[in-house]
Parts: sequence; structure tokens; C-alpha cells
Amino acid sequence: MSEDSNPAATPTPCQDIQGDGRWMSLHNRFVSDSKGKEPDVLFVGDSLVQLLHEFEVWRKLFSPLHALNFGVGGDATQHVLWRLMNGELDHISPKVVVLWVGTNNHGHTPGQICGGIMAIINVVHQKLPRAHTLVLGLLPRGKSPNPLRERNASVNAVVQAEVVSLSHVSFLDMDPGFIHSDGSIAHQDMYDYLHLTPQAYQRVCQPLHERIKSLLDKHAP
Amino acid sequence: MSAEENPAAEPAPVIDVQGDGRWMSQHNRFVQECKDAEPDVLFVGDSMVQLMQQYEVWRELFSPLHALNFGIGGDTTCNVLWRLQNGELENIRPRVVVLWVGTNNHEHTADQVAGGILAIAQLVMTHLPKSKIIVLGLLPRGEFPNPLREKNAAVNNLLRASLPRLGPVQFIDMGGSFVHSDGTISSRDMFDFLHLTASAYRTISTTLHELLLQMWEEMPQERRASLV
Repeated sequence: MSEDSNPAATPTPCQDIQGDGRWMSLHNRFVSDSKGKEPDVLFVGDSLVQLLHEFEVWRKLFSPLHALNFGVGGDATQHVLWRLMNGELDHISPKVVVLWVGTNNHGHTPGQICGGIMAIINVVHQKLPRAHTLVLGLLPRGKSPNPLRERNASVNAVVQAEVVSLSHVSFLDMDPGFIHSDGSIAHQDMYDYLHLTPQAYQRVCQPLHERIKSLLDKHAP
Repeated sequence: MSAEENPAAEPAPVIDVQGDGRWMSQHNRFVQECKDAEPDVLFVGDSMVQLMQQYEVWRELFSPLHALNFGIGGDTTCNVLWRLQNGELENIRPRVVVLWVGTNNHEHTADQVAGGILAIAQLVMTHLPKSKIIVLGLLPRGEFPNPLREKNAAVNNLLRASLPRLGPVQFIDMGGSFVHSDGTISSRDMFDFLHLTASAYRTISTTLHELLLQMWEEMPQERRASLV
């Protein structure tokens, strides 16, 4: 699918509809952060990335790995793509880029969302040819079974298949089993059936931390 | 401004456009919590309220006061009004209701937003005549000065003037400490120039907690039966 025909893979900044310019402020801060810092790990994505930074788990597991957090709430693949193409990768050389985005791509098909994720992977590879991109699977959402759960699961399946042959990319399923036997997701795990509670972050971040460490260990010096 | 004239005072649920029904799931959960719990404090509002519960400070300062959190991210005054009219004030007798909403009312003027908040306060007073109400002022937002800061400040000025007239309602504005002398807001206080970090929540929570304790002292100890 060409970028022209896939809105999820067409770099698009967020329009400031509300009037306080917050999206651009965040982007500009990330660009200037990238001039001053030397992260080994870069997290990029939507609110699931952004909120991670605000909880204790970030300080415990990811700060020690010299990680930067470029998450922006509400971002879909096309927004992350724009950000990465417009300065956020220009002055850093992380060894691992952790990408978690796609759940906000409303109105896009799993194929389009996967195309968006692949476009991001390609930009990362162009700008950081020695970095490894770790793509995180989309989590289920909503209290009960619903079409978005199916969409996210489809995205994961398609992305996983696409990256299996790429040596500079890997995929990590982030769902430790949030869906109970009755099909429900508990608010103790997702307080609004989308965003993770601190204890749910603890659960999903353990394997993530392990995977990042092993990628860092394998990275050529 | 009557409710008929003020769109910000018209109760309205959030329509599920995304497809996973999360807003209604959260509302239904709150209605159930009203049946199960006996809160002394009820927090209601938007993500400013909702996120507070995810930080340690909630467990330290507000859980011990038997607080319930009925915040939903993205909510406007219309959404909160609808929720409170549709079960979220049933079966409970909190001593205090803390209301924090209005920053998401993008379609409405400052006058309308203030009117919406007043309408919520009046609804709570009608439903819970023995409860006190604390209305929190809208915080400034955005990294630099911008129209939304002016709008939120205008809402606060209107509330400051009109709320105390209602009686058991206090207005608290905690936004002063967040804007620096150069007009900027730091991401150390608001990680996305709207939502508060753990340390910023701690600052405002300390003030709010002290106020609640003070109100506890001032309210006569009532046996649970007499509150029903």
C-alpha cells in the first residue's frame, strides 16, 4: 500500500483545534531534548507510552537504561510518523527504539494501521540504521468484547507477520492476560478500559524491560 | 442563564464513536459503586479528577477519608450533569462533593461553562441537601499564554463571584502556582501542559486534604441514619 493512499502512513501533524498548542509544544520539547541527551533507548508512541513516564515503574526500570520518552496522548501512527520525520530522531542515536502506537487510529483498517507502523519502522531505520526497533503489540480495550479488540488483535497479527523477516525489528506481545474468562477487562488493570493503572504497568513492563536489556546486550558496540 | 439557553448546562451522555463503549462502562461502574460504597467524599469531574486516583497521593490522603472518584477523561459539564442525573448520586450521602470540570468545554463560552458548573452544583445541592460542595477552579493550560488560559481564568472569575451565593459551596483556585514569571508552565507540573504530574497533584492535594479535614471538624458528627 503506497503512503499516498494510506492515511495511517501519511505523516500528519496534529492540528491545534483546542487553542493551546500543546501538541506542538510537546514535539518541540522532544526535539530540543534530543539535542541535549544521549539515550540508549527511545520510547515513542501514544498515551500508553506517555503515561508510563509518570509512574514509579519508569524510574525503576527504564531510567536506569537511559531511556527517553516521546509519547503523546492521542497520537495515531501518522502523527508519530510526522514527529519522527521532523526532528525527534535527528540528534540522538539510541540503540533500541520502542514503538507503541496504533490504538488511536480510528477509522483505519488493520492493514492501514500496519502500513503506518511499517512506515514508522522504515523512517527509524533510515535515520538510525544501527538501531533495533521493538514494536509493542496493541492491547485489548473496552470492558467487554468489542470491534476495537478485534481490530487491535488483527493489527498485531499483521505486524508480527510483516516484521518476522526483518533483522532490525522485533515484536513483543504486551498482553499478560488482561481479558478475564468472562471476556471482561478489570478497571484495576485499565482504569478507563484503555489506559493502564500503575500495577498493570508493573505487570507489562517486566517482560518489556527484560527484552530491552537483552536487545541492548546484543547491540553491536 | 437558564438551562434552556445554556448548552453547557444541558445534560448529555458521551456518544460511543470509537466503538468500545468505555464511557458508559465507566458510568455504569460508578452507579454500581454508589450501591456498594458509603463514601464521605465524592470527587466528580474530568481527567483532572480521574488521573488523581492513579497516583500514590490518592491512596495516602483521600482513600483514608473514604473517597470515591467519579472522574472520566474528556468529560464536559454536560457529561457530568448527565451522569449525576442518571445514578451517580443515588444511595450515597457524602459529606463533601468535590467538583472539577469545565476545561474540556471547547464549544462553550466562559459564561456558558460557568453556568454549567453552577447547574451541577445546584443539582448536587438538590439531591444531597446536607452535603458541602467544593468547586475547584480550572487550571491554566498550554506551555505559553493562550486563549484557553484566558477562558479558564474568566470561568474562575465568574465562579468566584457566583458560587458562594449558593450557600454550602466553596470555590478553590489552585492554579496560581503553575504559571512561572515568564508565562510558561513547566512539564514538571503538567507533563503534557494540561494533565498534572505526581508532584503537582501532591501540591494541590495537600491543600485540598487540609480543607477537607477542616470541613470535617466544622461539620457536626451525624449518625449515619440521620443522613439518610
